[in-house]
Amino acid sequence: MELKQSLGLIAPEILLSIASLVLLLVSAWAGDKASRAISVVACFVLGACFFIVAPTVCAGVAGPDVVAFNGLFTADAFSGFAKLLIFAATGAALVMAPKFFERTNSMMPEFPVLILLAALGMCLMVSATDLMTLYIGLELNSLASYVLAAFLRNDERSAEAGIKYFVLGALASGILLFGMSLTYGFTGSTDFGTVRAALTGDMSTGAMFAVVFVLAGLAFKISAVPFHMWTPDVYEGSPTPVTAFFATAPKVAAVSLLMRVSLDAFGMQADAWRQIVLFVALASIVVGALGAIGQSNIKRLMAFSSINNVGFILIGLVTGTVQGASAMLVYLAIYIAMTAGSFLAIIMMKDEAGAPVEKISDIAGLSRTKPALALCLAMMMFSLAGIPPLFGFWGKFVVFQAAVEANLVALAAIGIAASVIGAFYYLKIVKVMYFDEPADVVKGQSDWAHWALLIISTAFISPLGYLLTTWLGGIADKAAATLFLVAA
Amino acid sequence: MVDLTQYLPILIFLVIALGLSGLFVFLPMGVSRLTGAHKPSKDKLAEYECGFPAFEDSRHQFDVRFYLVAILFIIFDLEAAFLFPWAVSLDLTGWAGWITMMVFLGELLIGFAYAWKKGALEWE
Amino acid sequence: MSTILLIVFLPLVASIIAGFGNRSIGNVPAKIITTGALFISCGLSWPIFLSYLAGTAEPGVVPVLQWVHSGAFSFDWALRVDTLTAIMLVVITSVSALVHLYSWGYMDEDPDQPRFFAYLCLFTFAMLMLVTADNLVQMFFGWEGVGLASYLLIGFWFKKPSANAAAIKAFVVNRVGDLGFMLGIFGTFLVFGTVSIPEILAAAPGMAGAKLNFLGMQFDTMTILCLLLFIGAMGKSAQLGLHTWLPDAMEGPTPVSALIHAATMVTAGVFMVCRLSPMFQAAPDAMTFVTFIGGVTCLFAATIGTTQWDIKRVIAYSTCSQLGYMFFAAGVGAYGVAMFHLFTHAFFKALLFLGAGSVIHSMHHEQDMRYYGGLRKKIPVTFWAMMAGTLAITGVGIYWLHAGFAGYHSKDAILEAAFASGTDMGRSAFWLGAFAALLTSFYSWRLMFLTFWGKPRWAQSEHIQHAVHHGHHDSDHANPAAQEDAGHDVHHHAPSPHEDDGTAGYHPHESGLVMLIPLILLSMGAIFSGYVFSPFFVESESFWKGSIAFNEHLIHEMHGVPFWVKISASIAMLAGLAVAWLAYIKDTSIPGKFVAQFSQVHAFLYNKWYFDELYNFLFVRPAFWLGNVFWKRGDVGLIDRFGPNGAAWIVERGAVVAKKIQSGYLYSYALVMLLGLIAAISWVMVR
Repeated sequence: MELKQSLGLIAPEILLSIASLVLLLVSAWAGDKASRAISVVACFVLGACFFIVAPTVCAGVAGPDVVAFNGLFTADAFSGFAKLLIFAATGAALVMAPKFFERTNSMMPEFPVLILLAALGMCLMVSATDLMTLYIGLELNSLASYVLAAFLRNDERSAEAGIKYFVLGALASGILLFGMSLTYGFTGSTDFGTVRAALTGDMSTGAMFAVVFVLAGLAFKISAVPFHMWTPDVYEGSPTPVTAFFATAPKVAAVSLLMRVSLDAFGMQADAWRQIVLFVALASIVVGALGAIGQSNIKRLMAFSSINNVGFILIGLVTGTVQGASAMLVYLAIYIAMTAGSFLAIIMMKDEAGAPVEKISDIAGLSRTKPALALCLAMMMFSLAGIPPLFGFWGKFVVFQAAVEANLVALAAIGIAASVIGAFYYLKIVKVMYFDEPADVVKGQSDWAHWALLIISTAFISPLGYLLTTWLGGIADKAAATLFLVAA
Repeated sequence: MVDLTQYLPILIFLVIALGLSGLFVFLPMGVSRLTGAHKPSKDKLAEYECGFPAFEDSRHQFDVRFYLVAILFIIFDLEAAFLFPWAVSLDLTGWAGWITMMVFLGELLIGFAYAWKKGALEWE
Repeated sequence: MSTILLIVFLPLVASIIAGFGNRSIGNVPAKIITTGALFISCGLSWPIFLSYLAGTAEPGVVPVLQWVHSGAFSFDWALRVDTLTAIMLVVITSVSALVHLYSWGYMDEDPDQPRFFAYLCLFTFAMLMLVTADNLVQMFFGWEGVGLASYLLIGFWFKKPSANAAAIKAFVVNRVGDLGFMLGIFGTFLVFGTVSIPEILAAAPGMAGAKLNFLGMQFDTMTILCLLLFIGAMGKSAQLGLHTWLPDAMEGPTPVSALIHAATMVTAGVFMVCRLSPMFQAAPDAMTFVTFIGGVTCLFAATIGTTQWDIKRVIAYSTCSQLGYMFFAAGVGAYGVAMFHLFTHAFFKALLFLGAGSVIHSMHHEQDMRYYGGLRKKIPVTFWAMMAGTLAITGVGIYWLHAGFAGYHSKDAILEAAFASGTDMGRSAFWLGAFAALLTSFYSWRLMFLTFWGKPRWAQSEHIQHAVHHGHHDSDHANPAAQEDAGHDVHHHAPSPHEDDGTAGYHPHESGLVMLIPLILLSMGAIFSGYVFSPFFVESESFWKGSIAFNEHLIHEMHGVPFWVKISASIAMLAGLAVAWLAYIKDTSIPGKFVAQFSQVHAFLYNKWYFDELYNFLFVRPAFWLGNVFWKRGDVGLIDRFGPNGAAWIVERGAVVAKKIQSGYLYSYALVMLLGLIAAISWVMVR
């Protein structure tokens, strides 16, 4: 029976929904003291989802067999790859959070529930093959995110972050919805396949508007220039674990969604959007790099860093090839590890009272007071800057390679040149940590879970990561190929 | 040549609507003038707008609970609106449709329970 | 054959350990590791050499690693061992091991000993790589490696500006030669299609007389190639024109001068010519040029040596001169003889340098021979070692017994070969060499007489006064002092009252045992190496086993040269000795009178034929001028301004602007989003 099969395909989503609902009730009745337990359960749920999805990714499943609900949803290897990254990043955010909030007694059981709901939304986003599913997933994720941004209700900056995110997010949603309604109007369908079939040949002006509006709405979610303005403020104001979450999982989801929409639904109109994406990619790289230089707050700097990295990822999209898509997935995987690791290190930097240290000037001379932490952060920075032999280099390398092989040599050259600007601020952090007089602010101890996660992510981005290149590249290739099945 | 005759019902509708709305505005005014005492005051002459003063600086604080109730209201309002098309198409969607709606209602119920437990429904 | 791997790579390993371990492993372990490695290498090298002497060894190649495989351009790392290599192996490892040992004493007070020993070991490795090279590129690797080590060691006391200048000079002058060598390698590959030495040598005779078309002119292929390669040899072996770096290289510590700038590295050019001798045999014009350069250098350097006061400079010019001998021997086709002189010279020249080092050591770093005198009794072991070296270099021997010191056998053979070659250039070289032998004898004995005979004259030495006045001769006399002294010129105080005996109360004393043992061992070499090995090197074709082009006919001719030719070297030696004795023992006023009489000749020689001044005018100043133009106008004014600095400026401005745009106001954010949307739509519309 069709319904039964469909329900089987959305098993991880079902698990996530049930878990989040049950945990919501638990949180209401058990109160704040259950926060930790709920977090642990949430982690296990994510782990279970991870292991449900993993085999499908390794098998590279694709095609009509994995399409559920008459084409509303697909559980192909591409979405599976993105989901694995999302689960990993979400789990990292869950691990980061309790220690951070407990200091101010602001850890509430709703945090893991919201995170789970956001994850559920992201799963729908990456699996969406219909504008309706897309929008539901996007909004589910967004609504949870708005609340998360303002999670520290009594903190002015957190509230400001929440309201800014909400207002601009609503604007972006409006743009997206407008685009979707235009798409429906001009193609007569919300199904990606039908839209694709309808948008062949010369496009009418209205359809062009539809494409641009949809892409603009999605560009907001990945904080690509010029829809990036919210990013620094929200990243700075949100509690650090939330920032870490924003910088990782939703990026994966939104980028994957953008890939599916542009390559699948608008795949026949690549010429229409390619130049826009190209401009957005380069603008993101440059603005991200330039913006980061003047920052004194490390979270703000990481916000610009994420904008910068999104630019590099989008280069893969400009190519419009399987190799480019695969490169994007590899880049995403490495980017997740680098970003989560960096934020972990940031969370672990606490002053004597345990309050978070965010000013770059306060981590001066960290190498002498906390050598291990400084080393991990320095490796993250080197990796983000794309300096070999760290793994971050590989991500940039595959993207540029894809660009070169798609005859976009100029784009690759500009990208490489612009990455030099980016290296400046990453290396500045290293310089501050290693060569400046110790500011002696960072004193607090961190617990084992943070250390374990930091060491894992550092090991991943260290040259050891290259041991994974074949395997990672292999499954990324498989996942990317499923995205192009419709084209064949 | 556009066939204007097909717009006739609309015209009739407009005329009736204008007539009725005019009736609703002016009838109470006339009746009250004829039956009651005419003592206008500032409050009486003010426009009625959802409980807020109409002409005032929009940046002022008001109770957030107002929004809480409003949001809860909207959710269940929409739920009710969603039930109508579901009910008339139930013969097409069958058991699958029924189960789906029950899940949806169940989810809303959980949300409602959460809100209730958290005290979102209590004004004081 | 795998012992060769140990021989070559042990020094490298030791160098890495000592160099990177540096202060963390401490002085003594670094010294033990490096010196130990060298003694093991040396101990392994001698059996190889002896097996060649015994005629039991077979030449072979030991592959090490793949290197380059690019179309026809294909070669590997491989170590080649044959007679020629075996000779070089014992020379390099023996002298290097002894120099290492000697440095224990000489560098005892230096704060940077691990670095010094690491450099020495690195040099040894590079030199071994050079002589075991199986292809020209590998040889070039060793060639550059020894150049680098030489640079590092000359500039070892980097706080002395003069040492830095000398190091740079050595490097730059060698670059000129290296360019020639590189062009030679390129040309060889172009002509032969390979860089493998055995393949080239096998093909070389067939290429004799081939023509090369370059810029519309016809050139003899082999002549061109050999000349280019020889330019490389000239640079490394400090031949006339490219010799200017060698005397300045004496700024390095004396053990370095002994190892690198006397016994081994500077002979690399001779080695290379011998290694490629079949190529040179196919290019008679190039051979003539080699002979000419060798002969002229031999005389030229000797003339300068007669006028210098610095003990190390005298020996340095002597080295230059002796290298000239080797080259003209090679030039007339007597490669075995050239190698023989290289072999004996390594022992006695290392001995002379180490002896000079011992003298300098006991004289508190005074190098000027005018402030020596009467040291015979004070430092007897050093004296006798120096005496052995002098007897060897001047070629003392008895014709009728066929026995003499090392230099007697090798230098006589060279002169005989030059005469026997029968060519005009060979004959000229013979006369040049014979006269140079006279000068060699003169300056060598002059050195001996000034240093060890006569009365002490060191009271006026700045270094000695420093030692006496500060009263801490033992603690402060070594190289840290040399580094501190760097700034100020040596100037000489007025005689102090208690200097009746010319000693100023300073009493030199003999160096320690670690310095004397190498001297004694090298003395053995200086005394016996000629007599023992002469039959093999000069006469025995079976000894060489085809590793050089062996000219049987020439050896035969050598036996038939007239009697006066055979004793010409001895006569020259005696004449030089007599003049030196007259001028520096009998009547010490003679040199002064000579200088007064022939002041211009003396000035010409004393100032080294004004080569430095000439080069300064011709090359250095124009180069500096050009460099300044490129630097100030081109680099700073153009590239930096519009390149890095300009880009940095743009980035800086961009960062400021980017920060300004990020105002924090929601409405401006929304505005940017909408503007972006409008821009995108406009773009799609107008496209």
